[in-house]
Amino acid sequence: MTPGTSNAPLITLALSALGLIGVEITLYLSYFYTPVQISAGTLYVVTPDSGSTINLYESYRIFFIHLPAAYTTALCCTLAAVGGIAWLLTRKDAWQALIVSASEVGLATGAIVLLTGTFWADYAWGSGRIGSGWNWEPRLTTMLILWLAFAALLVLRRAMDTDKQRAMMTAVYGILLGPLYPLVSKAIEIGQTSHPRSFSDLLSAPEIATTKQVATIGVMLALVSLVALRYCWNRLGQRMAQERAA
Amino acid sequence: MTETARPAALPAFVALLRREFTVELRTKTLITSMGLFAMLCVVIFGLGVKGLALDETFRRFVLAALWVCTWFAAVVGLNRAAAADRNKNFFSALMLLPFDPALVYLVRLASTLVWLVITQALLVLLAVPMLKFDFFSQPLMLAVVLMADVGILALGVLLASATGRLRGGEALLTIALLPVTVPVFLAATGATEALHTGSGAAEAWPYVLLLGVCDAMFLALGLLLFGKLNEG
Repeated sequence: MTPGTSNAPLITLALSALGLIGVEITLYLSYFYTPVQISAGTLYVVTPDSGSTINLYESYRIFFIHLPAAYTTALCCTLAAVGGIAWLLTRKDAWQALIVSASEVGLATGAIVLLTGTFWADYAWGSGRIGSGWNWEPRLTTMLILWLAFAALLVLRRAMDTDKQRAMMTAVYGILLGPLYPLVSKAIEIGQTSHPRSFSDLLSAPEIATTKQVATIGVMLALVSLVALRYCWNRLGQRMAQERAA
Repeated sequence: MTETARPAALPAFVALLRREFTVELRTKTLITSMGLFAMLCVVIFGLGVKGLALDETFRRFVLAALWVCTWFAAVVGLNRAAAADRNKNFFSALMLLPFDPALVYLVRLASTLVWLVITQALLVLLAVPMLKFDFFSQPLMLAVVLMADVGILALGVLLASATGRLRGGEALLTIALLPVTVPVFLAATGATEALHTGSGAAEAWPYVLLLGVCDAMFLALGLLLFGKLNEG
């Protein structure tokens, strides 16, 4: 999972290149391949309060960013927890770098998920005005909490006095992030929810299904390459600190 | 034979717990700060909503307000306990004991739980006349409250042991504790709502289950990680 010190920049470069291509293809597909006008009945979603359906028109295109960003946030949460456990077991600095880079990118992708999610909700469930779609829906709320937890980890880390305390706190809090991911993923099953359970129910047009799959891989590659980039950056910072101490 | 040289854990647990109670009964710092804080919360919330009609919305608001009071009272108590440890350098002495640090964790958890429950009793006593809180209609709430307390404190004691050593750690504990204890908060408010809106125990059951899972998970994490977080 952690690339070796010598391989990390190469892997990062490869991931970034693939991610860049993936994003380009996704953008092309989402604007020129997916249909503008969907035949009636394929792009309808149920409103949260009543049972009536609304037409999504073109607003569904935001899913091609929203979905991969959500998957990456989940991945970052898992990486932080795995990094925390691995650091406690091995005490290798590389795992610290992994936890920190996962939290940093998780913070960014979490923000993308929340923003795109609320933009879409404002359009689909609200009145179109900013914030009108925020309805304390479980998935939305739990995602916000996960985002706050990523921020808390980075703030706590900075506040620690000694390097040892900092490393301990980072690892322990990374582990505590772990249980939040199942909460976000299960949130649509507890209580009343308006978050779509499955996009394949919603987006039955074959072009959209294909684009969704390409977007999941392509955009995720780009976002994961950010984790790798931050990882290299943090490793470099650790090595500089070591050289300065020596 | 080396095992016999090691003192038994249970008497040590009792001795440490008795020490916590003796100190608290002499100084009364935790109970006064948590209790006063809770009283102030009720008064401020009450002032904010005075004159409102006592309808369903009001009742639900009171329930939410009481959970917020509980959560922050717990943070106040944890911070005060950590500050007392720091001032007397007591915590490092505790970590030198020839026991697993998990024992120290359990002692702190048990004592804070007692203070929090006393604070909550005070909260309810005040909220019944001041916020027209109808507590006694739902005896099952006692279990929900206790389970939620354990969940909040299980992680609170763990994190407070690290933030307590820092200057300005009080604010940090608030920031650190809220995101990770939100599952408990979600489950507690969900169960409270189900019980008080009259949907009955069946509706509250999934939330109680979630509370149980959170308690078990957070306790296990606390027991495992407390020693690691405070080593050296």
